[in-house]
Amino acid sequence: MRYVKLPSGNFEDFFNSLKGIGQIYGPVKEGKTHHFRRVEEAGQMDLKYTRTMLPPKKFFVRPRERLFSLEDGWWRKEGDGKPFVLFGVHSCDVHALKILDRVYLSEPVDPYYARRRKSAFIVGISCLPDELCFCKSLGTHFAMDGFDLFLHELPDGWLVRIGSVRGHEVVWENARLFDEVSDEDIANFKAFEERRAEAFKRELRSEGLADTLDLAYNSPVWKEYAEKCLACGNCNLVCPTCRCYEVCDRWVDAYRAVRERRYDSCFMESHGLVAGGHNFRPTRLDRFRHRYYCKSYFDPSAGFNCVGCGRCDEFCPAGIEHVKVLDEIRGSLE
Amino acid sequence: MNPYESHPARILEVKDLTPREKLFTLRFLDEKLNEEFTFRPGQFVIVDVPGFGEFPISLCSSPTRSPIQLCIRKAGRMTKFIHGMKEGSVVGIRGPYGNGFPMEDMEGSNLILVAGGLGMAPLRSVLWYALDTGKYEHVWLFYGTKAYEEVLFRDEVLHLLKHGSAMNCTVKLAYEIESPSCIYLEQGFSDRVCRGVVTDLFRGENFDVENSYALICGPPIMYRFVIRELLNRKLSPGRIYMTLERRMRCGVGKCGHCVVGTSVSMKYICKDGPVFTYWDALSTRGLI
Repeated sequence: MRYVKLPSGNFEDFFNSLKGIGQIYGPVKEGKTHHFRRVEEAGQMDLKYTRTMLPPKKFFVRPRERLFSLEDGWWRKEGDGKPFVLFGVHSCDVHALKILDRVYLSEPVDPYYARRRKSAFIVGISCLPDELCFCKSLGTHFAMDGFDLFLHELPDGWLVRIGSVRGHEVVWENARLFDEVSDEDIANFKAFEERRAEAFKRELRSEGLADTLDLAYNSPVWKEYAEKCLACGNCNLVCPTCRCYEVCDRWVDAYRAVRERRYDSCFMESHGLVAGGHNFRPTRLDRFRHRYYCKSYFDPSAGFNCVGCGRCDEFCPAGIEHVKVLDEIRGSLE
Repeated sequence: MNPYESHPARILEVKDLTPREKLFTLRFLDEKLNEEFTFRPGQFVIVDVPGFGEFPISLCSSPTRSPIQLCIRKAGRMTKFIHGMKEGSVVGIRGPYGNGFPMEDMEGSNLILVAGGLGMAPLRSVLWYALDTGKYEHVWLFYGTKAYEEVLFRDEVLHLLKHGSAMNCTVKLAYEIESPSCIYLEQGFSDRVCRGVVTDLFRGENFDVENSYALICGPPIMYRFVIRELLNRKLSPGRIYMTLERRMRCGVGKCGHCVVGTSVSMKYICKDGPVFTYWDALSTRGLI
């Protein structure tokens, strides 16, 4: 990794220099929540945010996206690929994008996702956890790759980790804005990371979690929570790793149709429905359990399908807490 | 390459199989694609009716013969629409998808095909492939159906019932609802046609379990009983293949609708299947 320092006074110039790449999107506070929005000035962003409502996945797997449009009886391909900058992405969300990459960039590559991923310049930013964050338990609280630049807050600026050739080029082109890292900066970086590591209040016991859950398939705890759950699918929408989509053909007018895909949720009854009316996950219990199994799927080469961002807890109208459910499931076995 | 892009294909022939099922014979407009298109028995394609939608369907013809054929049951909005289409119309086809049956691994062995209802469609592909290549010891087809009128590919099944032994093939038929045609058949082939369920057809058959593979396709309820019968006969769970159905939207493991399993093992039916062994089912919850 290569490290440089961005002094506080140069931050705005650095931000403006990124405009050369493309449109910049960053965390903006609206009401009580944060959202990734189009920003023109650095001051519009609130970089001390904990989490946005929709994760950065919305830039790559669009909530609604046109795949094809029907012209003269046959399909014409759609898709955009304008370069853009995603500013202020937390490490859990960087990890989430890596999980999406494993799905969408594996063979056969999803061309829509791949094009956007290539067009994105990602600037990560350090954060402090709140009471819902449990990324540390999943090892996603620190990103080693998956970004172009990553900014760590220092008392008088930012320690910048350079994660890609493109990141390096941006620093190179704007060399006048950056300093070399001093011993004091290193000490400050270390102190910040230590303070941050201690700030986590929530912990997910991930040892043997996958097997434990599998063994608890018939646990009464599932039923208890399935009754509490409203099956609204909020958790799916705000989850940075949920990626199910539904495809539908829509007629724009009498002559033109489009094929679109949009977010789908495994809490919807239609998710497991096949032709002829047979449903492979007919009850809310089946669907509730399925989501937890999906999020806690353990890939030996990559870890869990959950990054511990806490969004599903914050935006659950029934107040269901992910870690608490898993702890209770584990407890029901003991 | 866009994996969601389908290729236009013309409907050459539409044939009524039963009141609910029709057989569609298709040929790609792109001649090069017709030459290159190959698949394994058990694989499926996604049929695209532009402006209306897509649906997955098993290939019921064999890679040894062309053009491709699809047996489509009128089960929903999309399939109802395609049932109304006539010869000469153009639909889209993308695929083939899925793993298919491991036909090469089974060469030289006996094949026990167990079909229930519409499950006959993908197994017809295996049956033709096995008979065309002649690389298999003996082929049994146990076919359970509701009524005589619902027997898919009736001419072919009856032909093999009568003349199969010349091709090392034994066809057996079980029906639930009695009809004059069934009684007539039963009188002619009392050892091979009976009233009952598909597992009744195993009676009187002895398989060399060390050298046999079972290939099952049918409604979900059928699997349990057929598998129990095969396990009683000491067929290894690794030699029992079955093809499963789930909601396959994209066919390439992205959309997430066909995911099954738990935290320990999750599988995409479209990509890791739709053919699984019984061992896969034992180690993956929710598979059957």
